[in-house]
Amino acid sequence: MKIISIHNLTFSFPKTSIPVIEDFSFSMGEGEIVGILGQSGSGKSTLLRLISGLEIPKAGSIKIAGSEVAGKKTFVQPEDRGVGMVFQDYALFPHMSVKENLLFGLSRLLRKERNPRVQEMLELVQMTDFEKRYPHQLSGGQQQRIALARALAPKPKLLLMDEPFSNLDANLKGSIRNELREILKRANMTCMMVTHDKEDVEAICDRSIVFGKHGEKQSEVLDNESSLTYVR
Amino acid sequence: MNTESVKQFFRKDFNGWWLVSLMGAAMILLPILFIFFSIFQEPNENWFQIREYLLKNYAANTIILVVLTGVLTAASGVSLAWLIAAYDFPMRRFFSWGLILPLAIPPYIAAYTYRTMLSYTGVVQVTLRNQFDYLINPEWLSISSLRGAVFIFTLFLFPYVYIICRAFLENQSSSFLENARLLGRKPFSIFVRIILPLSRPAIVAGAVLVIYEVLSDYGVTSYFGIHTITTAIFQTWFGMYDADSAMRLAAWLMVIIVGLFFIEKLLRQGRRYNISSKARPLVRQKLKGFPAAAAVIYCSVIFLLGFFIPVVQLLAWSRLTFTKVWNDTFFTLLNQTVFVGMLSTALILLFAVIIANVTRSHSSGAYILSKLATTGYSIPGAIIAIGVLALFIELDSLLAPFYSYMGWGKAPLILSLSLAMLVIGYTIRFMATGFNAVEIGFEKIGTKYTEASRMLGFGVTKTFFKIDLPLIKGALFSGFILTFVEIIKELPLALLLRPFNFDTLATKTYQYAKDEMIFEASIPSLMIIIISVLSVAVFQMIDKKVKK
Repeated sequence: MKIISIHNLTFSFPKTSIPVIEDFSFSMGEGEIVGILGQSGSGKSTLLRLISGLEIPKAGSIKIAGSEVAGKKTFVQPEDRGVGMVFQDYALFPHMSVKENLLFGLSRLLRKERNPRVQEMLELVQMTDFEKRYPHQLSGGQQQRIALARALAPKPKLLLMDEPFSNLDANLKGSIRNELREILKRANMTCMMVTHDKEDVEAICDRSIVFGKHGEKQSEVLDNESSLTYVR
Repeated sequence: MNTESVKQFFRKDFNGWWLVSLMGAAMILLPILFIFFSIFQEPNENWFQIREYLLKNYAANTIILVVLTGVLTAASGVSLAWLIAAYDFPMRRFFSWGLILPLAIPPYIAAYTYRTMLSYTGVVQVTLRNQFDYLINPEWLSISSLRGAVFIFTLFLFPYVYIICRAFLENQSSSFLENARLLGRKPFSIFVRIILPLSRPAIVAGAVLVIYEVLSDYGVTSYFGIHTITTAIFQTWFGMYDADSAMRLAAWLMVIIVGLFFIEKLLRQGRRYNISSKARPLVRQKLKGFPAAAAVIYCSVIFLLGFFIPVVQLLAWSRLTFTKVWNDTFFTLLNQTVFVGMLSTALILLFAVIIANVTRSHSSGAYILSKLATTGYSIPGAIIAIGVLALFIELDSLLAPFYSYMGWGKAPLILSLSLAMLVIGYTIRFMATGFNAVEIGFEKIGTKYTEASRMLGFGVTKTFFKIDLPLIKGALFSGFILTFVEIIKELPLALLLRPFNFDTLATKTYQYAKDEMIFEASIPSLMIIIISVLSVAVFQMIDKKVKK
């Protein structure tokens, strides 16, 4: 079954006529990791926001695990889509400890299952000693792992990552990249990742899409199994 | 907006929060619309008389007051702001916040304090007579005039201009200034050629706040016997019991305000400077010798006249009347004031939080909604009061069948004699104060936490209580204080809308002063000033936090 299938998706910001995304179709299967490359302003992040339900498309439809979440007549609110997201600046709640941040997404779990799940996630990202810390007491890389753990904890059908490495310095990036792919594969997580760095894609993703600037052709070839270039 | 985007809006964004916001907006808009539509009704005889003989005079007085006060507050505000921002001289740190303090004294309190001090039995003439054997021409000290009102308004409202200009100059002007100096300009020419034009938007913003206050004033003008449109509204309502004409006058005042709004737009147009985010704070120049002395004297005179002298005088008077005023009746008064103030502030913040939470998504309609929420601030208390009164009387007559069904008598005035009217009036007038504070809080946290929470499975409402509310606590607190103080100080609205036999600190002060019981007025006045100083302190605290 396709975890996500997008049909003829079009979106433009209010008060502008030029669409950011136009007539875009795409699908991905379970366990796949897909990278979305492109320059800033090419609509990569917007695609994630459309899939997650933070924006509403102008036309076209989005299906997640077979059921329509956005279409001509339907719009499922973001909290009901079962999609996890790691934000560019992580958005860890500053007034909650690491543990509270992780517990936050587990409200639909039985009470006695929550703590074990938190431990499991902390082990997955190797941060077991940090549950009492607050976000501002963590380094950038640590914050990123917690953000990842928080997004994975509710077991989403799909994980979205928006520029996950943009706030990390270069030497940290290399080790975290490899780790991330391992974590995602171990959890058999379907993941869509936005980045502007080709190396990210090469290290982590199974395939990739390249978003072009409006009207200009992009023809990048990547070393991955199959790549798809999306030009508007 | 086409039908498709309306449909999209309903699918994605419409929810209970929107619904409540629209109700809040309706509550604000309804009384104002009520006044506007009164223009289209057939005027009565009284109105022709008012228009024929009085209106021109009222309008002229209003405009003279506004123009003179506007110019003088702008001049004093920007010059003081420049001194404090760009130069270092003895006591500069003290003056930098001391010059905000005049704002803590409502002009009507200053008006009766100064008039009494300058009267034949007041401290000025008595001292000159007894100590120096000098008889001053009383003409010189007569303050009950247009001139006197301008003096009072300027002295106690200039901090609006001062605060805004100072913040602007301290943070934004350094590079321009340094360049001007390197290009060999003298300080005075820098002030005239660089600082004044650069700070025009800030000056206009401050002056407009001052002008709203002047247009809204009833205390100073009525006490000094100056006829303005606002005092005329009171006269036609209370003196002639002519509600229609009062509403018509209110509508006229609204016309002036709308005109003012366009002038402001015009004055600011094309002057939105590209303000760089990398601005360095201004490095102050040290003043020595004569210039330093002049700066200290200038600031001291303003501070003494605008805060110290009236407060000391009020303290002196309060000692004379302490035993007479400080009793159970006063505590009841205090209780009532705090109760109605808290109630209104809570209502304001409730709506402010709901509306700001809706508008921060920047979805369609959000802009109009936020504009609507803040209209009340530019509309004088008297106009809002008249609109609310008219609306409530209309509501009572609509509900009359229901009242008689409940056995409450035939066509009683239930809503329009209740405290609800005053609370609604305050809410409309000061929604902007609360809303702006909450909006700043929301702007600071952005939308990322909210979005993250929704991705973790929480809806808008749960997210609000678990994430947004804890994060905007500080903004809510300062919003609460600022709004509460505004309500405590407000006079015209309270005078018109309070239920029979219900007094607030402000109305009681005014009542005492009007009945020539000046000494008795000092204790409630000091109470208001103390509460206001509190807001200045909060203001400073926030300012410091921002700078850090």
